Amino acid sequence: MSLNLRQKQSECIIRMLNLNQPVNATTGMANEEVYKILIYDRFCQDILSPLIHVKDLRKHGVTLYFLIDKERKPVGDVPAVYFVQPTTPNIQRIAADASKSLYDVFHVNFSSSIPRPLLEDLASGALKSDSIHRISKVHDQYLEFVTLEDNLFSLADKNCFVQLNDPSAGDREIEAIVDKIVSGLFCVLATLAVVPIIRCPQGGPAEMVASALDQKLRDHLLAKNNLFTEGGNFTSSFQRPILCIFDRNFELAVGIQHDFRYKPLVHDVLGLRLNRLSVQGEKGGMKSYELDNSDPFWAANGSLEFPEVAVEIETQLNKYKKDVDEVNRRTGGTKGAELDGSDLVGNTKHLMSAVNSLPELTERKQVIDKHTNIATVLLSEIKERSLDSYAKKEYDMMVRGSIDRSELMSVLKGKGTSNDKLRFAIMYLISSENIPQSEVDIVEAALREAEVDTSSFQYVKKIKSLNVSLASVSSASRGNIVDWAEKLYGQSISAVTAGVKNLLSSDRQLALTRTVEALMEGKPNPEIDSYILFDPRAPKSSSGSHLRGPFKESIVFMIGGGNYVEHGSLQELAHRQQPVKHIIYGTTEILTGGEFIEQLAFLGKKMGLGGSTAAAPN
Amino acid sequence: MRSTQSSYRDRTQEFQGIAETLKKSVANAPSSSSSHLDGSRSAVSIQSEFNKRAAKIGYGIHQTSQKLSKLAKLAKRTSVFDDPTVEIQELTAVIKQDITALNSAVVDLQLLCNSQNDSGNISTDTTSHSTTVVDNLKNRLMSTTKEFKEVLTMRTEIIKVHENRRHLFSSTASKESTNPFVRQRPLASKSAASGSAAAPPPWANGSSSSSSIFPRKQMDGESQPLLQQQHQQQQQMVPLQDSYMQSRAEALQNVESTIHELSNIFTQLATMVSQQGEIAIRIDENMDDTLANVEGAQNQLVRKAFKRWGLSRIRISLLLNLFSLVKRVLLKLLQLMNSNTKPAGKQRSAHLQVIGILSALASTDDFCPNHGFLIQLSNCFDFDFPLPRVRGIRPLSG
Repeated sequence: MSLNLRQKQSECIIRMLNLNQPVNATTGMANEEVYKILIYDRFCQDILSPLIHVKDLRKHGVTLYFLIDKERKPVGDVPAVYFVQPTTPNIQRIAADASKSLYDVFHVNFSSSIPRPLLEDLASGALKSDSIHRISKVHDQYLEFVTLEDNLFSLADKNCFVQLNDPSAGDREIEAIVDKIVSGLFCVLATLAVVPIIRCPQGGPAEMVASALDQKLRDHLLAKNNLFTEGGNFTSSFQRPILCIFDRNFELAVGIQHDFRYKPLVHDVLGLRLNRLSVQGEKGGMKSYELDNSDPFWAANGSLEFPEVAVEIETQLNKYKKDVDEVNRRTGGTKGAELDGSDLVGNTKHLMSAVNSLPELTERKQVIDKHTNIATVLLSEIKERSLDSYAKKEYDMMVRGSIDRSELMSVLKGKGTSNDKLRFAIMYLISSENIPQSEVDIVEAALREAEVDTSSFQYVKKIKSLNVSLASVSSASRGNIVDWAEKLYGQSISAVTAGVKNLLSSDRQLALTRTVEALMEGKPNPEIDSYILFDPRAPKSSSGSHLRGPFKESIVFMIGGGNYVEHGSLQELAHRQQPVKHIIYGTTEILTGGEFIEQLAFLGKKMGLGGSTAAAPN
Repeated sequence: MRSTQSSYRDRTQEFQGIAETLKKSVANAPSSSSSHLDGSRSAVSIQSEFNKRAAKIGYGIHQTSQKLSKLAKLAKRTSVFDDPTVEIQELTAVIKQDITALNSAVVDLQLLCNSQNDSGNISTDTTSHSTTVVDNLKNRLMSTTKEFKEVLTMRTEIIKVHENRRHLFSSTASKESTNPFVRQRPLASKSAASGSAAAPPPWANGSSSSSSIFPRKQMDGESQPLLQQQHQQQQQMVPLQDSYMQSRAEALQNVESTIHELSNIFTQLATMVSQQGEIAIRIDENMDDTLANVEGAQNQLVRKAFKRWGLSRIRISLLLNLFSLVKRVLLKLLQLMNSNTKPAGKQRSAHLQVIGILSALASTDDFCPNHGFLIQLSNCFDFDFPLPRVRGIRPLSG
């Protein structure tokens, strides 16, 4: 049984829409039909939008759906389903709605567990207006995360990287962030109904989150009737998944680099958000597309490089044309052909089958048109910014660990937005082991010349010099692949580089992916031996060495922002394994390269680098 | 599949507990603010009448679809000898009745909804709520009706297949016998033999009891005298055989006429169903987006397409209904089609949803520019009727 987060969360939402009544398994509908109104806040709207369409809402009897802060009018004799985060404004709003008797019956659902004080606030608020009888149910749903694909989720927790790396942040702030992440991860685990083995590197936010999560799970498991009793027992006896927690500093480069595969490009360049994309249509107007598993082309080709995608679109189009041709031929759609009586029956049969095949053909055509449009817009961006050369050169830099100065300067003075140049310059910093100060100065000068805000560059430079001066073991901001390979094989750098190059050209492995693979295999490996292991089910003293794997399923969580590059790389790993493994990838938020650079720049400014005053990124 | 019951917690008890404690602590505070409740009382009572009726209709539709699935199961039985004609006839009649009743109930509900909306003393949200409920019921009734039609169509197919098989038998039989009037004899005896060998032939029972529904005076009068002369011993068999054939033919007619009657309901519902576009959208989507992409050229396209539609032979007048529909409805549907919404399976319930206009089955202009157009219609009356109905969606030049 594989973990399918999207499916699980959808089931939970559907159950909630049916007033938490059991849903009939065969029809997918509640046994009793109730028309109701759905009210949600912004966060829960983000949870719902990628999962459930208006069509499905209707199917489950939802007639109207509103944001909670919208002005709403009373609707008598109808139950209202609230799906909101447990926050004070939401509580106040619900109490106000109840006092105004907007709806007859209130079913209140919180996206995560509501703390006792807030529950008391709700009760007292409703009591004051003598409307407590209207609030008929209060539920904790444990759904506070956004699922984008079967195996991709985000906690939609903004600016985590900034908050965790902010030098001015106090212990309390850090604790609050860690708590928030832990609560989000707990929701994910509760929805999946699994208690995983937790692994993480030593130190930093990853360990803090891991140990806090371990504690939270332990506390929860003390209760006899807990969230994991029903489903959990079943899984635990067989195989538990492994939860690998990392921090963005583990591999900074992935957040910055340019990538040339379809999904990362669509996200990074065109700004895919919550599986939705708005691009310029052929005739000028904005077109918005939905990109998820219901789009077969997207699902099949999202991980291909852009040129291959273009070829694939062409292939699909030709295939479609051929099929249409075939239909035309069969129905006698050629000029001058006469229908005589004897041919009538056969002809009609052909016509019937042709007509029957039309919906399928139309649907295919729609998908082809959609991707043609997306690819066209993407191509013009790629040309304009010569993204292909960015992707290629950054990749080469990572592999070789260096770049010609002339090549470097030509990129910095060439095409591309200032963000592209900045990202390239930072990649240059990260990729090379030792860079002479003079080189750095030249790069900086070139950036300034291109009127680029260099504070993020400064920040990475600072971090790098700190790391180097501390001779830190952490591979945070250096050439991770090379670094790691060197440790693993203990060979000279040049030999390793050649090997890595092969490795990369075939598999494009990230350091994260390599580590996850090693953790899932669970074999003794110098790279992961230092990783801490938590088993929330085991007594605290036991070593739990028998739980080191191999694992069939894993959940990989990246604190401080992830993206489709990492997701794609992990999925590739999962599918390469024999037998196929399952990896769910999650992150605090999904960031484009530009967004991540902004966070770095913010940190740089906070540290007084790069000059101008700090302004919070959004 | 493991259930997901575990992933939520009911905090209602805790909440009520808190409320109780709080209530005790503020027990002396005056807590009568029921005046505002009285104000909305009348509106609420109207609303609950609406809800009651809506729930009733919803339940009715649910029950009808259950009957329908039973009917579908029966109709799928393809065995010649175990043909549950009677049950099918009865069930068909019941479902037809149900659908007609539900349809008029929905119309009543719509009227109630309209009168409420016009009265003006209810909130806009209530209005849109009840409109949505009515639409939802209409859609469901529509898809149920469509399903019904599909089952009936399948039924006619099966009956025809049986008939063909029978003809096959008969034609080989007629070679042996020179007398055209006795060509059914070998089959009849054969059937009887095989039937009596195992069990009494079920179709015999079926036809005799179905005769109560479908009188068969003429065939008895026609066939018996002819056959009497030569085949005394077969005498009882032949009328049975014939009546069987006859009942089959009538069953066919019956089914077809039911399909025809359904068309009226469709027409009624189609003019009522107003909103289709929102069906495939997301909750965070701006609704204007979906209708934004309509271009004027499409209207022309439709007009052209109408001109070029060569329908030469329509056996059942069903298809005529297509044309009696106001063109504007079609255009509206076309607009919906061209918005980004995907036609979504059963939820899509427009009477006649134009889901594609294909230039002679190809929609690329450079591909075959001169082949005319084909309007692709979905839902109730797609062209998947048995026998040639639509012939020659002919390519016309220009």
